[in-house]
Amino acid sequence: MTEYLIRRIMQSVLVIFLITIVTFILIHAAPGGPTQIMLSPGLTPEVMEQQAKNLGLDKPLPVQYFHWVSGLLQGDLGYTFKNHLPIGELLWPRIANTLILMGSAWVVSILIAIPWGIYNSTKVYGLSDQTASFISYLGFAMPTFWFGILLQQYFSLKLDWFPLSDMHSRGREGDLGDLFMHLVLPVTVLSLGFLASYMKYARASMLEVLDQDYIRTARAKGVVERKVIFRHALRNALIPIITLLGMDLPILVGGAVLTENVFNWPGMGRWYVDMAISREYSVLMAITIVISVMVVIGNLLADILYSIVDPRVKLGKQGGKAA
Amino acid sequence: MAKKRNWWSILLIVSLIGILFTGCSTNNTANTPNATAESTEAPTASEAPASAEPAADGPVDGGTIVFSTFSDIVNLNPLLIGDTSSGDVAQFVFASLYDLDRSGNVVAEPWSLAADLPEISEDGLTYTVKLKNNIKWTDGEAITADDVVYTIQTAINPETGSPLISQYDKVQTVEKVDDQTVKFTLKQVYAPFLYSLYQAIVPEHVLKDVAPAEIAKSGFGTDPAKTVTSGPWKWTEWKQGEGQTLDADPNYWGEVKPHIAQIVYKIYADQNTEVQALLKGDVDFVSAIPVTQVEAVKANDSISVIDKPGPLYEYLGFNFDPKNFEGNFGLFEGQKTRQAIAHALNRQGMVDNILKGVGALMNAPFLPDTWADPGEAAVNYDYNVETAKKLLAEDGWVAGTDNILAKDGHRFSFELQYNAGNSRREQVAAVIQQNLKEVGIEVTPKAIDFAAWIENNVNPGKYQAILLSWSLNNPDPDAESIYSSKYFPPAGQNTGWYKNEKLDQLWIDGYSTVNQEERKAVYKELGKEISTDLPYIFMYQYGTAIGTGPRVQWAEEDAPEPSLGYGQFFHAIKWWVTD
Repeated sequence: MTEYLIRRIMQSVLVIFLITIVTFILIHAAPGGPTQIMLSPGLTPEVMEQQAKNLGLDKPLPVQYFHWVSGLLQGDLGYTFKNHLPIGELLWPRIANTLILMGSAWVVSILIAIPWGIYNSTKVYGLSDQTASFISYLGFAMPTFWFGILLQQYFSLKLDWFPLSDMHSRGREGDLGDLFMHLVLPVTVLSLGFLASYMKYARASMLEVLDQDYIRTARAKGVVERKVIFRHALRNALIPIITLLGMDLPILVGGAVLTENVFNWPGMGRWYVDMAISREYSVLMAITIVISVMVVIGNLLADILYSIVDPRVKLGKQGGKAA
Repeated sequence: MAKKRNWWSILLIVSLIGILFTGCSTNNTANTPNATAESTEAPTASEAPASAEPAADGPVDGGTIVFSTFSDIVNLNPLLIGDTSSGDVAQFVFASLYDLDRSGNVVAEPWSLAADLPEISEDGLTYTVKLKNNIKWTDGEAITADDVVYTIQTAINPETGSPLISQYDKVQTVEKVDDQTVKFTLKQVYAPFLYSLYQAIVPEHVLKDVAPAEIAKSGFGTDPAKTVTSGPWKWTEWKQGEGQTLDADPNYWGEVKPHIAQIVYKIYADQNTEVQALLKGDVDFVSAIPVTQVEAVKANDSISVIDKPGPLYEYLGFNFDPKNFEGNFGLFEGQKTRQAIAHALNRQGMVDNILKGVGALMNAPFLPDTWADPGEAAVNYDYNVETAKKLLAEDGWVAGTDNILAKDGHRFSFELQYNAGNSRREQVAAVIQQNLKEVGIEVTPKAIDFAAWIENNVNPGKYQAILLSWSLNNPDPDAESIYSSKYFPPAGQNTGWYKNEKLDQLWIDGYSTVNQEERKAVYKELGKEISTDLPYIFMYQYGTAIGTGPRVQWAEEDAPEPSLGYGQFFHAIKWWVTD
């Protein structure tokens, strides 16, 4: 297990390093630059050139890259080009904001989707299953921003039950009740999206397992239905769900641009788009790194969870026992 | 057993619905503290007073006003401002030498640093500015001639990378006469220079030890704690990506003090969410309501809307460099061809239908109703397909088999570029395509990402035709740097490679006298020539409607003036809010 972990982590570091190079090249290949804010009569090409020089953008790309990597290795994410703000100080609060929003939606949707999906697999095409199906299709089909605007129109502008947008009311930062009220609508929107896929997966995965011979054997032996479901079927059915959850982990810090925009949530998704438009190379690189790390961690966690849920999976042993 | 399972299913559904609506029950208690603060914003409460309020009970001090915007500031340092968001915020915290009155004249207001209008010498070459003598920075230091001299000299220094450099390129010297007097000497007579004095000043004592190339990194303009300012409000906080907080400066030097105690700038992702926040009452002032929403906002009784076009105009720009066309055949060479295009476009229809009336037709690059507007002297091209066809025929264009005009074997087909995501231009481009098709010209609209477009096409002058606009920094009519053949790419902004010797000279004549009557005559002549020759099709002056919530109050003479650069905040120092 330890050996396996070390190998995986080494691989991951290499992958992340390659990702930084590719991203760096791609980002710089895009036309425009941080000094091109807008067409204003005062911003002549000479002025823009001078600004680029003052910001260090005139240096050759490999030099810029080397500079960036050596900063990163010392834990320094660098500064924004346009106004020399320390990126670290900007990044962490945003990650926290996004985690609060996405994490809540994720947890809410898991808590609903997985039990419900499992239950529905035992009562296929029942009322509950049909309802769940309907909700899933709704979740897949409805554009999040549209659903968000709909909720705002009704529950905020019309009924005035919830705040329209933002993370806090002015002057009430740190007030958890206030934060909760601001979370309700965006979390509803986001969890519907998660819910749709998790519920479908949970149900489908359970159905597949319930059809297996060993389940029939268990039932034939006279094992209590509850035991069949929870002891025999569930553990096997969880594997694909864990994969899915692991794959979604990066979204928890990556954020959801459209929902963040509609609800004016100061999170990562919105920031990433803003920074991409203004060509803030260092910020884009920093965000890429954070998300790549999350992808790697998500996959690793999923792998480790497999071995806990499914005794057949033994990590690290080459050609582990086939079941 | 079966019964139990049914229970479970109902429980699940109930809990799901419960979670979707949890807030409903908890809300009543959680929200009560808010209820008092927001009571004035509830539609029922504001219905009656909304219209009857103005000035009746006079200004009150205190309170917070919330402005919204959709992009964050970059840097508030007046030497480095190149974007409107930074400019908007900076004008609250930095005092300028002069201000503009409602008709766009330079004036010394009680909140201006200068005591009086500048004395201009007989030969028009020297401007002497007298400062007020009680003016102070937020750190208590006096604002003196040294600060003015430092600001201008640093702006002119190429190492600073200041966008102000072109504004002061006619300055020969700037000298301190005494602590309160500064003398500017120009290299040549240049009338628009007066508007260059409508300029915020930076503190010499804070920045003098910073190398010009390092100013952008100095924290002055990016860190509120390091930004010593001079205006009625001071910069208290910047939450990146979320907004600004400005507080009235208790030690502000001006005789006229601000009424509003706090200005909050909130950043929203786009204009539509800004409008939602205005309707909800989270925001008091939105300076750009999208045209598609103007009607809906007007329908709300508690919101007042000001829909007057701003200091910007849209144009259909032609490229006169034959290299941009197939077979090096410039399609827009003929004056009659350009005039025909002007006749073929239904510009009034665009103003009515696309701009929803927030616009005015233009025939020359001077804003309607300003002192330089040539009025009747400029040629007006009415929407007339027959005239357009006749002019095209006179210029030698003959319809081909596919109904598209051709001359010497060259089809009249061109690409019209604009920036992707701009829905106004998208619609206008489609109308242009339709209008020109009726006279036998084929247009292919092409949307390109803004940054890429500017870098690859606009700045180097590599396009066939573009749909773009100019925003006018100040009310002076001089636009030599856009239309004169002295300013071809890559260095200049005449990106369509337009050359007209008569106009080149008129632009020079226009700024070479400080006598306003003489200037007026020149711009009248210029308006006639440029509207005849048409380097562009001047489309319309346009703008964005301003919406204000029921809390914001001003006297009639201090109302926002959208036609000025920062006119949406005209005389904001005299506004007040009611709660």
